[in-house]
Amino acid sequence: MSKSSLKLLCTALSKMKVAYVTTRSCYYQPKFRPPYWYSPKERVMSEDMLTQENRDFLEEVRQDKLNLQTAVESPLAKVETEEVAQWTPTTRRAGLIARKIGNYPLWSKDGKKFQTTLLQVVDNHVIKYIPPEEFTPMKTTKLNWREKRRLGCLLVGSETIDPSIVTKEYCGLFDSVGMLPKRHLRRFMISPHAKMPTGTPLFATHFRVGDYVDVRAKTMDRGFQGVMKRWGFKGMPASHGVTKTHRRPGNIGAGGEKARVWPGTKMPGHMGNSWRTLRGVKILRINTKHNILWMLGVGIPGETGAMCYLFDTVLPLRKLKTPPPFPTQPFVDDIPLEYYDESIHMFDTPTITFEES
Amino acid sequence: MALVIRKSSLDIFSVGKWMLRRDCRLLSTLPEKADVLENTEGEQEKPIRPKPKFNNPVLEYRHVYPEFLPDPNPKWRNSLREKMERADMLKRRSQIDIPEFYVGSILAVTISDPHAQSKTNKFVGICIERKGCGLRAEFILRNVIDHQGVEVRYELYDPMIQSIQVLRLEKRLDDKLYYLRDALPEYSTFPLDMDPEILPEGTPVPVNPVQVKLKPRPWLERWERQELKGVSNIEEYLKEKDRVRRELRKTPWEKYDLMKQYRKTIPVEDQSEIWSEVYNQLHQMRVSRKKLSRKRSFTINKPQLG
Repeated sequence: MSKSSLKLLCTALSKMKVAYVTTRSCYYQPKFRPPYWYSPKERVMSEDMLTQENRDFLEEVRQDKLNLQTAVESPLAKVETEEVAQWTPTTRRAGLIARKIGNYPLWSKDGKKFQTTLLQVVDNHVIKYIPPEEFTPMKTTKLNWREKRRLGCLLVGSETIDPSIVTKEYCGLFDSVGMLPKRHLRRFMISPHAKMPTGTPLFATHFRVGDYVDVRAKTMDRGFQGVMKRWGFKGMPASHGVTKTHRRPGNIGAGGEKARVWPGTKMPGHMGNSWRTLRGVKILRINTKHNILWMLGVGIPGETGAMCYLFDTVLPLRKLKTPPPFPTQPFVDDIPLEYYDESIHMFDTPTITFEES
Repeated sequence: MALVIRKSSLDIFSVGKWMLRRDCRLLSTLPEKADVLENTEGEQEKPIRPKPKFNNPVLEYRHVYPEFLPDPNPKWRNSLREKMERADMLKRRSQIDIPEFYVGSILAVTISDPHAQSKTNKFVGICIERKGCGLRAEFILRNVIDHQGVEVRYELYDPMIQSIQVLRLEKRLDDKLYYLRDALPEYSTFPLDMDPEILPEGTPVPVNPVQVKLKPRPWLERWERQELKGVSNIEEYLKEKDRVRRELRKTPWEKYDLMKQYRKTIPVEDQSEIWSEVYNQLHQMRVSRKKLSRKRSFTINKPQLG
């Protein structure tokens, strides 16, 4: 009897489908917790008393290094000859570091207007891969069962900078793998077989048009704000005898047993400058020359010029269905300049007309 | 001695300020009112004038194609995004002829409409507003149809728009004609079967000095506070209270605010870069349009004769 009911329960459970992922809306105070590989980047700039000749020499060396780095062909080319790992739906690929450069509208083929956000993938290179056995993340009080030492850590850098403007420590991180230091460094947790060798360039074609991605970025810093702006409280009337309490929260708790302020009460405080992930953003168009992605919608956090991080989405209904470029799209000369989603109208095609039926 | 030096330095300072202001005015997208008025006077005296030569495309094109200049807000500027946007605009312009027009011009717009019987929709009206930069540029047409005021907002780069035709190319005395909503209906009534009026080549865009009559109050906005030039009878509806408040709300110092003017304009270097990038293509399109219009005027005349 119990066995049959258990079976019934099993079949009922197997039919159930996770159609959405709930994200906690609980607010965390913005805090700075450096990742374990982090080392201070900015150094105090001092007068080095260098002669012009020495300055020129340093510049020359830097240029040589840069040229060497750009001249080296993608290490992925050699890897592919050995063996190519296959992408499976459970694989986690690497992501990209991009800069938000603005918004403008695109139109669909049936004449609907879409607002889009433009993200530019700036000079991304793989810096280092740390396999799961060697990867020791910072210990936190929270238990994290999901990442049970099965994901590796891939460091990706963006925007090459002059080594003399950063600390020796930060430089050493790149020097040990033979790269020039990057302005932005970011780790991506990936499946071990999605690893890439140091120096692999990543392009916008890492994603395809029509794919959905998650975008993680820092929200605009709004400073110390009151409850009306921070939590959308209604405030109090402007007139009718109201004095000195137009934008204040009002009551913050009950009496009796609960005669205290409950933890998590919405109050004035610092707003913005916190990490936020926008999930399931569709890619509408890709420019391969400037490495620009046109994303649907204007909800990507941060202001124009801020950096954001792109991953394959975790939303179950929008996950990748066909294998993407794996581990990434290598540099190819003869790819088209632009890719468009099939629903998007290209500006150099004739005007949209409807036929009489 | 010291006095002399101070005075001379002050003079230099004021001269510098004057130069700066002139520069700003030279590059703002706002029309130069004084110049425009002079032009019209000159036109009345001598109808046939030599074609004004513009050596600098910056000075000409910022009025003809204002949407190619980006939004001056520094928080939204990004050179790469602007470049992509301009490329897209030129691509769209290669498909459809977007003519030169101004606020006050009368336009006919044909747009694809899936719900219409013939799948297209044509609207004729006066342009009362033109705003937005880049692909977001838009304009509003107004007309009175069956005693009912109708306004339609069109996006300049909307791929649904099949054609934009300028029926009468002219400017009005104001930058925005929202006051037509409160004016007598005959000022915004235009026949839907209007014929295009073709200006002889080389004439500057005429300014229509018509002053409209407003209907009695209530109004949609406080027109008396906006220093409108195209309204004739605003004083007869004002009470003493309104006149006093108008005086109180005046901001005569704003025209001396150099910073405000600077924030509204795109710097010279940026503008010259933008125009040098798009000048060739725009110029080619202009030339080909002129050829086409010449042909069209020739072919239109034939059936009328016959």
